[in-house]
Amino acid sequence: MSTGTASVVSSGGPLVLAGCHLAVAAALVPGRLWGRAKARWLEREDALLRAAEAVAGELERERLLQRVVEQAAALLRAEAADCYLLDRARGVLRCAAVHGLDPALVGRAVEAAAGAAGAAVERGRPVPAAAYAEVAGRVPHAAYRGFRRALVAPLAWGGEVRGVLAAGTRDAGRSFDRADLELLEAFAGVAALALRNAELLAERTRQARAARAFAQVSALLAEPLSPEETFAAAARAAAGALAGDFAAVVGEGAAGPGVLGGYALPPAVRELGPPRALVEALVASPVVAVRRARDDGRLDPVWRRGPFASLLAIRVEEGRSAVVVFFRAERAFGAEELELARHVARATSAALERSRAFESERAARSLSQRLAAAAGALAAARDPTAVLDAAAEQARLLVGADTASVATLARGELVVGAAAGAGGDALVGARCPPTGSAAGDVVQLRAPVVLEDAGDDRPAEPDPVLAAGQRAYVGVPLAAPGGEPHGVLAVSCAAPRRWREEEVEALAALAAHASVALAGAELYQRLALEHEQNAAILSNVADGIVAVGRDGRVVVWNAAAERITGVPATEALGHPPSEVLRRELESERGGANRLVAIARGGEEVWLSLSETVMRDPAGAVAGRIFAFRDISAERIVDRMKSDFVSTVSQELRRPLTSIYGFAATLLRRDIGFSAEERETFLGYIASESERLTEIVDALLDVARLESGTLELELVPTDVGEVLREAASDEGAPALANGHRFAVEIEDDVPPVRADPAKLRQVVGRLVENAVKFSPAGSLVRLEARARPDAVEITVADEGSGIPEAQLERIFAKFWRGSDTAPGTGLGLFIAQGLVSAMGGTIRVASAEGAGSRFTFALPVADGSRRS
Amino acid sequence: MTRAEREETTVLVIDDEPPIRLLCRVNLEAEGMQVLEAADGTAGLGAARSAIPDVILLDVMMPGLDGWQVAEELLGDERTKAIPIVFLTARAELRGRARDLDAAGIGCLTKPFDPLELAPLVRGLLDRAARGEHGALRREKLAELRGWLGS
Repeated sequence: MSTGTASVVSSGGPLVLAGCHLAVAAALVPGRLWGRAKARWLEREDALLRAAEAVAGELERERLLQRVVEQAAALLRAEAADCYLLDRARGVLRCAAVHGLDPALVGRAVEAAAGAAGAAVERGRPVPAAAYAEVAGRVPHAAYRGFRRALVAPLAWGGEVRGVLAAGTRDAGRSFDRADLELLEAFAGVAALALRNAELLAERTRQARAARAFAQVSALLAEPLSPEETFAAAARAAAGALAGDFAAVVGEGAAGPGVLGGYALPPAVRELGPPRALVEALVASPVVAVRRARDDGRLDPVWRRGPFASLLAIRVEEGRSAVVVFFRAERAFGAEELELARHVARATSAALERSRAFESERAARSLSQRLAAAAGALAAARDPTAVLDAAAEQARLLVGADTASVATLARGELVVGAAAGAGGDALVGARCPPTGSAAGDVVQLRAPVVLEDAGDDRPAEPDPVLAAGQRAYVGVPLAAPGGEPHGVLAVSCAAPRRWREEEVEALAALAAHASVALAGAELYQRLALEHEQNAAILSNVADGIVAVGRDGRVVVWNAAAERITGVPATEALGHPPSEVLRRELESERGGANRLVAIARGGEEVWLSLSETVMRDPAGAVAGRIFAFRDISAERIVDRMKSDFVSTVSQELRRPLTSIYGFAATLLRRDIGFSAEERETFLGYIASESERLTEIVDALLDVARLESGTLELELVPTDVGEVLREAASDEGAPALANGHRFAVEIEDDVPPVRADPAKLRQVVGRLVENAVKFSPAGSLVRLEARARPDAVEITVADEGSGIPEAQLERIFAKFWRGSDTAPGTGLGLFIAQGLVSAMGGTIRVASAEGAGSRFTFALPVADGSRRS
Repeated sequence: MTRAEREETTVLVIDDEPPIRLLCRVNLEAEGMQVLEAADGTAGLGAARSAIPDVILLDVMMPGLDGWQVAEELLGDERTKAIPIVFLTARAELRGRARDLDAAGIGCLTKPFDPLELAPLVRGLLDRAARGEHGALRREKLAELRGWLGS
């Protein structure tokens, strides 16, 4: 009946159940028994109700079991009660709770078929063990010794017996009757329902936990997380799903096998080291359940001593890693846990795979971004040293290495030219043999050399990078512009490290960029140098250099061009020369040494211009270069030279006319000349010959004055004597036409320091000049005046005077008042030169039509100064 | 050459150099010509206007008025514009160039010159000038001559 009741009531709860019992009992108990039995029955039913209430409120399985045995003992007024649950897989009954018995019994298993319990299980009905002694020989545990009577009721739900609830007593005076048996059976029904509820709740809780765990794993799948985050999240999800205390993901990391991530993981677990034995066990089985870690051979010895009692290891990612869920309390794992573990494995594998894919993509993207940035940095470097520095620094940043270096081949050796990162400075300048070293291999193989761990014991390591204690190394070749090996770009880490294939590829790409940048920088430097040289040449060359581009606008305008044209480069650049100079420079035929006149300010400048047309490869005019010299001065000199030759030849012809003419005349036989006439003719021949000599002497004087080789004999000279001589009949110039001479010497004129011959020449030239440019019969005055420390000598005429505009040019060589003015144009030039050579000065005062006064001063002779 | 011819021809020599004037005088007088002298352009112009010589020997290079200026003045004066002029110049460039000048009554003598050539030159010039044109042609030839002499 009770079992029937239990099967009918599938839901509702213990209170409803209890109510049902009361109603059913009231209906079934015959009325004649009601009186006496009523009180006892009610009492029992009341106790049952209370016991039912006591267990109904408890949903936690362990506490419920404990309460069940307590209530069973109280209900039956027995001193002890226990509860065994059936483990069908093992064919045992396992003690779940005891009351009034040794608590150590809990967990003990007995054979399912043994004793009264076995009978109750087998029959599915309560069994009274009135004569416990019958089974005493088979008492499962010492704790049961001395018991006299017992009642065992099966605990059944869901249509099958799940365990037994028993009550017993050592009291020989206590006997259990049928009512007691029914009472226990009724309470067992209530307890079974409560246990079922608790189990349902536990199941639902587990399901909820698993659902939450899967939701977490799904969330991982949905979210792009880094592997580290994914490992931690997978551990948390697994711990949640399997109700573990903490969890870890173990596997191959960058630094070898070990813990990749964890959830609530005690540091002690992390310090256990790689679970090698466990990983091996996972090769054979996808899930390894370790109930007793401390004596499980599938764990490494250190793992057996870890801060956990049980663990469940789940293979994920096809063995690449594993999820390990730890339990502080010992825990048995059923099919359910294993199934759950497989779910966790699938979800975690998917999440990790996705995360790794994402990470690899992210890493690749990040690599390519860094590579692009690195290429940019390399491209910005303008000299080879900067390129090498940038290559080292960018390589280090690219793969996050500790150190990076660039070694280049020089005279058969690899020499580190640039380095970045830790210890980089010490590497610069280090040498490395081209064979038998890591860098050497890179050059020989022309391919990357990758070392994940070079070890830490390397005496006599030839490669300077590895010799510096670096363990992880990647070297990639640097190529010269022609493709031949140029050097090695190396990155390294002090600790062993895995190098991903993309990283090595990225380094190779960076090296290629560096090679290109290096070639570019060398070219740039060469061009810069050439440009500098060109600029220096252009600015220092005496010729004006002007270049125009295809559009005819000025692109080069050097310093000489500025000087010659008077136009600064800033005003010329970007404009056509025709605009700058107000005349075209280019001609249809180009050519060299064309004569071109331009205006510089108000002045005309003559250029000797050469023109070169630059053509592009297609033959089109790409620009023109003009080179020119200012030949204005040369033209003036040329012209003066030509004038000089002409003038000198005329000057020579004049005396020659007289010499030749009188000689020819004297030779005439048709005329009879008187002796006086002959004498006059011969006198002219003589004087004109003298004049010829004077002209030649004047030319020599000019040459001497100009070359500074004029010889002077400076002695105290009486000025008055020289002047009087010049004015005398003998001294006056041959061409004087009745000119009168007046000599005025102040009384106290001291002697001057002069070369007498040169002084005479100066005075003579001035007198000749005066005579030449003043009318016949006019007066020429010669004066001497004392001045402090000097004597001033003046030659004044009454001639036409000199226009003001010409005054400052009259002492210039070859200057003549006009083309038809007689003379070489050297007289005043020589006079000035001689005065100057004797330490004096000369000046002129003149007004047109009012005559000229030439005055020169000579220093007073030593010892003759006036006090 | 007769004495009568000699007395007919008057030559004015304008040159600032006394020996040149003397040279011309001696050699022309030896050929029966009458010679007047002037030491500069101004004096020469005065003499030309007052004496109206048959031929003028004119030095190009002189202080004050030069030969060109004197020639301009002569050509600008009705009294003197037809008088043949022989320029005396030291510019050698003229040799071989001065052609067809005599038709315009213009002669040219480059210094140094053979004094025996003076009289034939004067005579020849007088002959051709008598047949030739004056006026515009003279000016033209004068300008041409001046151009050759580069002044």
